[in-house]
Amino acid sequence: MKKLSLAVAICCACVTSYANAEVRINGFASIVGGKTLDNDSTLYEYDNDISFKNESVFALQLSADLQDKLSATAQIVARGENDFNAEFEWAYLTYEFTDELQLSAGKMRVPFYRYSDFIDVGYAYRWVRPPQSVYNIPFSTYEGLSLLHTSQLGDWDSTLQIIYGSFDGNIGVVTYNDKAELNDIAGINWTLSYDWFSARAAYLVAETSIGLSDQEPTGQALNGLEKTLRDNGLVTQANDIAISEDDGTFIGVGFSIDYNDILFDAEYTQLEVENSILAKQSQYYASVGYRMDEIIVHFTYENNDDKHDAADFDKITQIPDLNGAINQALLGTKAQSTVYTIGTRYDFHPSAALKVDFSRFKNDITDTETDVIAVAVDLVF
Amino acid sequence: MKKLILASLISTCSFVAFADVAVIVNPSNSNSLDKNEIKKIYLGKSKSFADGVKVNPVNQNGNSVVDEFNNKVVGKSSSQLNAYWSKLVFTGKGTPPEKLDSDQAVIDFVVSNADSIGYIDSAKVSDAVKVIATF
Repeated sequence: MKKLSLAVAICCACVTSYANAEVRINGFASIVGGKTLDNDSTLYEYDNDISFKNESVFALQLSADLQDKLSATAQIVARGENDFNAEFEWAYLTYEFTDELQLSAGKMRVPFYRYSDFIDVGYAYRWVRPPQSVYNIPFSTYEGLSLLHTSQLGDWDSTLQIIYGSFDGNIGVVTYNDKAELNDIAGINWTLSYDWFSARAAYLVAETSIGLSDQEPTGQALNGLEKTLRDNGLVTQANDIAISEDDGTFIGVGFSIDYNDILFDAEYTQLEVENSILAKQSQYYASVGYRMDEIIVHFTYENNDDKHDAADFDKITQIPDLNGAINQALLGTKAQSTVYTIGTRYDFHPSAALKVDFSRFKNDITDTETDVIAVAVDLVF
Repeated sequence: MKKLILASLISTCSFVAFADVAVIVNPSNSNSLDKNEIKKIYLGKSKSFADGVKVNPVNQNGNSVVDEFNNKVVGKSSSQLNAYWSKLVFTGKGTPPEKLDSDQAVIDFVVSNADSIGYIDSAKVSDAVKVIATF
């Protein structure tokens, strides 16, 4: 709450000190209610009791055009999962060199995915939530620079973005509360679109360090294993468990089609943090939809596959106990799952949409299924 | 009954004919624009006129001229346009044109801003503005 009043104060200050600065206020909100259809499993933080809190979001954006090509923008987001505590998720200055080139500095979204930039703006896409098998990186902002170049190549629109920066904060990777520090995040992404077709490719790297929380058994066990290896002089093996200044690489490609009311979207992503306990991840989704004026019906298939390469196993067979422990730790990060989602979006108002999504998550390792149903109202103002 | 239907059909047709949209600029503006260029301006994809002057477009607010314009020139429904702009606004990549409340407000704006462009019901066109295209 204090942060919000600060934002209002900054905004007022801008208004008074720059008589000719125009301050715009925009906002978006999603109210989402959902539950699982099973008694004993959870998915997307839902359990069998209906919750209106997990995925609900309320956000305000203030942007001020200062003099001559300079603008300041802040987005304050209150999330239900965070007890609706308002936090700044974007806060940046932008300088427009030309109509085609702009540089932003501050806190912004990391452009991993096609929908990353507006991942919270439910109104901008057809699902209740973007496909979570792909949209699963547990942090979404960075502090740094973003250079954006937009141009037209004949009938095609080109958007090229280059970013550089860093992130630190507590995120859920192995446990629910791991301390992450990503330095030298550098990334490039390029989107090409032509009326009904759009394609995008993204590549990011970062020096990644993640300290696992000792508060949870998995974190404790891995930290213990790393220490045991180190104490026994097995430094390489210890380093291969620890996530410490390791090279992280992200690759994403995708395309989307909106042709004669037929919608198609697909994205494929790969994430790897080398020489660490984190498994190599590859994910994709494909989604089709059909628009009938105000109503869209859609179906989406998602697939997630996390595993270590076979070469990572059996590195110290001469010490069977520790070899076994490492193998077990590596296996523990294996994940394989699919999700089917069927849903509908109804634009019942020019700036509001009602959505219903039914998702079936299948864990191929435990061979269990979890169903979630969610209803959302998304609006922009 | 048949005559009534015929009559109403004719009146519908004539109504459509009268509801053309005129795209207007300041009389001092000597640029010419085709439909695709106007569309690009209203989607925030082009930001300047051919002579390099930064373009200052205005929209209208929830009336039949808007629907006509969005449908004929931009080719998107108002919901689709809202979704399109929300992707740009909340990512700092663009700002939609300001919305004015009436044809007259658009005319007044265009008269007093040499770099502006707007659209109005073609029946409301006055000598104070220059019609650059009609759809």
